[in-house]
Amino acid sequence: MHSRVLLNTHVVLRLPSGQFKIVEVIPNTAIPLGKYGSFSTNLILGRPYHLTYEILDKEDGQTHSKLRLVPASELNAEALASEDAAAQGEEKTESAANAKGGVEFDIVGENGELLMRSNRLTIDDPLRQTLTQDEIEELKRAGTGSGKDIIAKIMASHQALDEKTSFSLAKYTVRKSKKYLKRFTVLPMDPGMLAKVMMEREAVRIMELREEMLGLIASWANVHHYSDPGEEMETKRGGRWLIIDDTGGLLTAAMAERMGILYPQEEEVEESDEEDLEESNATNGTNHQAPSPKDPPRPTTTDASEKELATTTSNPKKAPYNHTPSQSSPTTTLTLLHPSAQPSLGLLRHFGFDTNEPSPTHPLHTHLKTLSWLSLLSPSTDPAYAEPPLVTAEKLATWKSGKRGTYHRKRRRWERVKRVVDETREGGFDGLVVATAMELKGVLEHTLPLLRGGAQVAVYSPHVEPLVQLMDLYSRERRAAFMIGGHTSAPSPHANETEKRELEEDFPLNPLALLNTQLQTARGRAWQVLPGRTHPFMTARGGAEGFLFSGTKVQPVEGRVEARGRFAKRRKVEGGGEG
Amino acid sequence: MYPRGHSLKDLVRTSPFLNPPPKATPDSLALLGLRRDHFIPITLQDDGAAVTNTRFGSFPHQALLDLPWGTQVRAINVNASRSKKSKKQGGGKKRKRADDDDGDGNLREDDAGGEDGEGEDGHELASSGFVHLLPPTPETWTISLPHRTQVVYTPDYSYVLQRLRVRPGDTIIEAGAGSGSFTHASARAVFSGYPSQQASAKELENVENGIAGGDALPKKKKRKFGKVYSFEFHEPRVQVLRDEVKEHGLEEIVTVTHRDVYEDGFCIDEEVDGQPQPRANAIFLDLPAPWLALKHLTRSPPTSSQIRSSANSPMPVTESDKPFRTPLSPTKPVHICTFSPCIEQVTRTVSMLRQLGWIEIEMVELLHKRIDVKRERVGLQEEGLRGGNPMPKSVDEALGRLREQELRTRGFYERQKAKAEGKEDDDADAGAEAMEKELVKVEDGTGDAEGIESLLSKQQRMESNQSKAQERKIWKEGKLVHRTESELKTHTSYLTFATLPREWTEEDEKRVARKWPVKKQGGVENGDGGKRGRKGRGKEEAKLPEGGEDD
Ligand SMILES: C[S@@+](CC[C@H](N)C(=O)[O-])C[C@H]1O[C@@H](n2cnc3c(N)ncnc32)[C@H](O)[C@@H]1O
Repeated sequence: MHSRVLLNTHVVLRLPSGQFKIVEVIPNTAIPLGKYGSFSTNLILGRPYHLTYEILDKEDGQTHSKLRLVPASELNAEALASEDAAAQGEEKTESAANAKGGVEFDIVGENGELLMRSNRLTIDDPLRQTLTQDEIEELKRAGTGSGKDIIAKIMASHQALDEKTSFSLAKYTVRKSKKYLKRFTVLPMDPGMLAKVMMEREAVRIMELREEMLGLIASWANVHHYSDPGEEMETKRGGRWLIIDDTGGLLTAAMAERMGILYPQEEEVEESDEEDLEESNATNGTNHQAPSPKDPPRPTTTDASEKELATTTSNPKKAPYNHTPSQSSPTTTLTLLHPSAQPSLGLLRHFGFDTNEPSPTHPLHTHLKTLSWLSLLSPSTDPAYAEPPLVTAEKLATWKSGKRGTYHRKRRRWERVKRVVDETREGGFDGLVVATAMELKGVLEHTLPLLRGGAQVAVYSPHVEPLVQLMDLYSRERRAAFMIGGHTSAPSPHANETEKRELEEDFPLNPLALLNTQLQTARGRAWQVLPGRTHPFMTARGGAEGFLFSGTKVQPVEGRVEARGRFAKRRKVEGGGEG
Repeated sequence: MYPRGHSLKDLVRTSPFLNPPPKATPDSLALLGLRRDHFIPITLQDDGAAVTNTRFGSFPHQALLDLPWGTQVRAINVNASRSKKSKKQGGGKKRKRADDDDGDGNLREDDAGGEDGEGEDGHELASSGFVHLLPPTPETWTISLPHRTQVVYTPDYSYVLQRLRVRPGDTIIEAGAGSGSFTHASARAVFSGYPSQQASAKELENVENGIAGGDALPKKKKRKFGKVYSFEFHEPRVQVLRDEVKEHGLEEIVTVTHRDVYEDGFCIDEEVDGQPQPRANAIFLDLPAPWLALKHLTRSPPTSSQIRSSANSPMPVTESDKPFRTPLSPTKPVHICTFSPCIEQVTRTVSMLRQLGWIEIEMVELLHKRIDVKRERVGLQEEGLRGGNPMPKSVDEALGRLREQELRTRGFYERQKAKAEGKEDDDADAGAEAMEKELVKVEDGTGDAEGIESLLSKQQRMESNQSKAQERKIWKEGKLVHRTESELKTHTSYLTFATLPREWTEEDEKRVARKWPVKKQGGVENGDGGKRGRKGRGKEEAKLPEGGEDD
């Protein structure tokens, strides 16, 4: 999946400005990069990821720019040059200045021109740069080069160049090249990348869920692939996580990645079948195979042109008849509880999955299960859970094919809903992952009973306050009070409404049901590493810090806490519900 | 527990980390949770004599077996003298957390212990203490494993595995293995099944179908299973880790190799599907001098021009006797992380990475904090209680107290005066009466019935507070506050990340270019990823100005 750029996948381009751009690689189309130019997708298709290209200027009569692959040595040249300089002791003056606290930022103007250098050893003023901004623009229009020329010209025209140490030269070049080099890097789309891109654009939509938190959540929820060599593996469920995701699908994608159900299986097509790879990728860009060996064999791939058509238009893809029912995998599954009628997982489309038109060959098609809170808590009032009337085969035969199709679709949909709702209500989940703006007490009240003992709980929040409140519900004092305060003794059948309400107020959640509750935060701090000039970057993104609550589901000692009024109520939900 | 017969379960040994059985089973790792951050790892034995003794009591394994995970278990008073001898003292003092600093005395940590006897000496071990029986996870193992070295803890390894893009089916190289903390976390991350599971499944099938050998079956594409290749040059550590890996059912996933990786690199003689191993796509180096290992992590032999003769690269290249082999995946991008506490180590590592053609080099420090939450109770009612602040909670309360004190002082003087004037009885009574009246006023003024308590002695006030506290719900009172935990790790190590893209030769390029020729066409513009297709898709792309420019 991440060896090479496959057909119709989403990739991320990093532009010279440092900005990211998400692009779907549709063959025979051009990708415009504004002033940096444009290039054909065919020039990156089938090539490895993490390569940097330079857009060359169009030759006469050419409709497309060519790309030049920039070798790593060239990418690292500047840093290495400055390392050399340092090694040769040239840094004496520089580091002396630094040691005295000399500031070392260039002030670069709006249009990239150097306004002021703070380097104390160089007297600098904009007049020394004899090339005017207009001239630079002119040069660019004339298209005499790919930015490098321009930089060279600017450097040459800079009178004070000699005064510059190699260090400031390197830095100067960096500044300039950012502006003028028409380079871009092709990066694979994955949840970590997506978090980064989204943080820059629509941080609120992903609840400001940073890449740092993704790994932490996965660890504390103990999310992983599940594979059980037991005999009953066809039917036995295992490796099931419950998820509540208000991040548009980012959290779901991140957990799915950890479980091995986000990408099509590709390991078998590693180096051995290079040519095969060409074929299967070319015809089969969005064809996915679930990773588990117990999954049914991959459906036969459709013909190339048809496939291309199917994926490049927004026509609903027709599922092959013999495919496994959606949301039916017994193992390594994510069960998503959603607050609206439909799950909101729009970001999954960056991974080739659309919840409205799920591709039957995508692993999420069988491994991701979705149901609404209504289905979970009150299935009897959920129309989707009500069985559509069964029609006899004879009667069906008399129907028009369209009507028959509708009938079958309805039945299938109901079967799916019923299966998912029933198995969810049965509980036994291995973990719970939450990122929601909803009140957490209610969320946990209804989900904790669905977890097996020893299951892990991880709740993310951009802000600390909701999690502080949650921690408080499991505070040592509250737990002790719950145990000591008579609430823990045998259930009182005589408890009246007031008593019950009081209990509810004092202990909104059973404080003994979670062990090892903790609250934490993690944040990466990036550094610049250059000899003699290693320090943390001066600026970073502010905003929500991001916090994680975690705990382990446990079963308090028998007969002590159990059947108090409200807990009995909750148990009912667990066992089969009020529906 | 499991039915005998031809079952995969008999052929494949699973890991309690990855496939915890539904209940505690013999010979499987389990943890006894004593309190936050305190777990005792035990291997359950189906043996009447097997007992684990903790500070909170004794737990015979027979009583633990077959219990569902998460069960709270009471201690059984086996034999106090045996406990005394036990080495497995649960309640070690070294990791006392903030639990104890809010000092709320009678409310002891209740996760475990209940009536926790004081005795570190084992004699007074309470028989009514309890623990929780838990399945192992890399997180709990990390804090309970027998430490041989510094270990990488959960915040760091989570971030590293995230940044290294380690996914099920991947292959990761790890050196040095040390205490195996990172090993367990990466085993979970790469796990994509047990290799023998597939083989055995096939065998089983063949047996059932009466076919000998696997050849008769149609050739299926093999799945690649996730693997951890772990290297360590300290022999005893290698031994311990190998034992653990075996005991934890991870031997099919983790291979521990005894080797000095600076000298001998990372290739191993094992072959999988006829391919030399490891063919890794992720690398984690927790070594004192990672730059010395980097020369072994290339796809082609490093040239001497790559390794310049600068002072920091003692580079013994050419081992012309052996043909060059790479431990890296030839097709996948390789991600690396080195973990070093000192900045000098980082500088040298980064320099070497640059020379060897690694890109996207980034150094990050992970700032991680745990946060304690508590209720801050302030007010005169807290005097004599633990965990509260006995200062007045408000200006009003302060005023009230000041007034009372003032009255008290006045009462004292009045009594003194009366005494001096010899008319003790009458006047003293009158004085007391006046004071009473004043007090009523004070009470009316502040509405605080407790006001009168300042007339009592300190001892009396405290006792009164304590008895009142019995009626209070102190877990709901006060202000909910949070703060960084008292023991803070401010620096673990610097994390240096880099990527080595797949090598791409001109021939490769030619081949692919033939496949994807750039046709002359009307310039169909492919906008952003989501533009075509369903309406309302990703506003996020639309927002990006084409060719987004700014700097
Ligand atoms: C800090 S420990 C690693 C801890 C480990 N990451 C963990 O999480 O438990 C470093 C280990 O590297 C080993 N080591 C140091 N130099 C080595 C070398 N050249 N080859 C192999 N192992 C080495 C040491 O013996 C030590 O056990």
